[in-house]
Amino acid sequence: MIRAALEGSARAWDNLVRRHETQVYNFSLRLTGNPTDALDLMQDVFLGVYRNLHRFRGESQFTTWLFRIAHNKAIDMNRRRPLFSSLDSALEDGGDMLEVQAQRNTDAPEQDPLAQLEESLRNAVIMSHLSTLPLAQRLIVELKVFQSHTFEEIAELQDISANTAKTRFYAALRKLKALMEQDHVM
Amino acid sequence: MSCEHTATLVAEYFDDTLAVQQRAEHDSHRLQCLECQHALNAARAATAHLQRWREQPVPEWSRPRAAASQLPRPAARWQWWQWAPLAMSFTLALAVMANVQVGASTEGIEIRFGPAPEVAALEIEARLSAFEAQQQLALQSLTQALAEQQRADNARLMEAVIDSVVDQFGDSTARSLEQVIAYFESQRQQDLQLLRTSYQQLADSDYATIRSVEQLASLVQGGQP
Repeated sequence: MIRAALEGSARAWDNLVRRHETQVYNFSLRLTGNPTDALDLMQDVFLGVYRNLHRFRGESQFTTWLFRIAHNKAIDMNRRRPLFSSLDSALEDGGDMLEVQAQRNTDAPEQDPLAQLEESLRNAVIMSHLSTLPLAQRLIVELKVFQSHTFEEIAELQDISANTAKTRFYAALRKLKALMEQDHVM
Repeated sequence: MSCEHTATLVAEYFDDTLAVQQRAEHDSHRLQCLECQHALNAARAATAHLQRWREQPVPEWSRPRAAASQLPRPAARWQWWQWAPLAMSFTLALAVMANVQVGASTEGIEIRFGPAPEVAALEIEARLSAFEAQQQLALQSLTQALAEQQRADNARLMEAVIDSVVDQFGDSTARSLEQVIAYFESQRQQDLQLLRTSYQQLADSDYATIRSVEQLASLVQGGQP
């Protein structure tokens, strides 16, 4: 599919984007805290993939390579405007998450609305907890817990030692556990 | 008291790439270290909390569809024909620099390096003209130098003569000048006399020769019957 996309197949490119967009979107959502910024970040990520696809040598998995780009784009975006800046207001007024949920209800009306609401609220709490972490720790948690990267891969991405990555990961988990206790999350 | 291994032990618990031996060592340590046990339990609870995340569907967004046809091509291995334009450019540049001329004549195709023959002849003619002008200039300069030298030599000769005359006749007073003029005049008269005598001798000699030839001719004619 990657080769076909490189050879100019619009269909292959479209399939490639569709195959990975959910993963990239949820990554972006957890990092930015709201769907609007998540879509912006996703757009940046796929544009980065588009511009650099010819450099992909297949030495690593495509998803590893894709999230390397996503990681760097998130840092770039955070430089332009701090990520999670609009999370508080989103949670206060019901949040963009509920807007997304409403759309989801329209798309899949067979799902229990209460269960959907619970999912949305749980996700919002997770995002709220993640938002308290510094970006470097947030990215490590994201890459380790959600993308299953090794500490060596994370260390290379962040240009730090593997031991530093482990220490930051542990510090992030400690902080998250403290927040869970504070919010009575079991 | 804190355990120095806690951070590494907890982090590596979530590392699937950990060797069996190392994992066994960690398990063994954890059984003995209460702090590491608590830290690991807390970390597991935190990750379990995160893993309750439910994937959200992607809202409608504008996928970069059209971009696929303009994807940058991978850097493919260079083929021999990809060098052709570069080689052609190099050859043309070399031909321009070497002034290569290709022409067809009755004897076939002709390749020349440098200017055409007629151009060369004109150039040679121009160079010869320049050389001639240069030589004329040098000759003129040499002639002037010789004339200067001659004038200087004449002046020195005149000074020497005057010195000689002064030595002979004393100071250069008006009387001495008259004596000098008289001396030159007498010298000139002597030279003229000498010249006249020489011409006379030469004429006499010529006449003698003519007479001898006439005598010989009359003798030859008189001897004939």
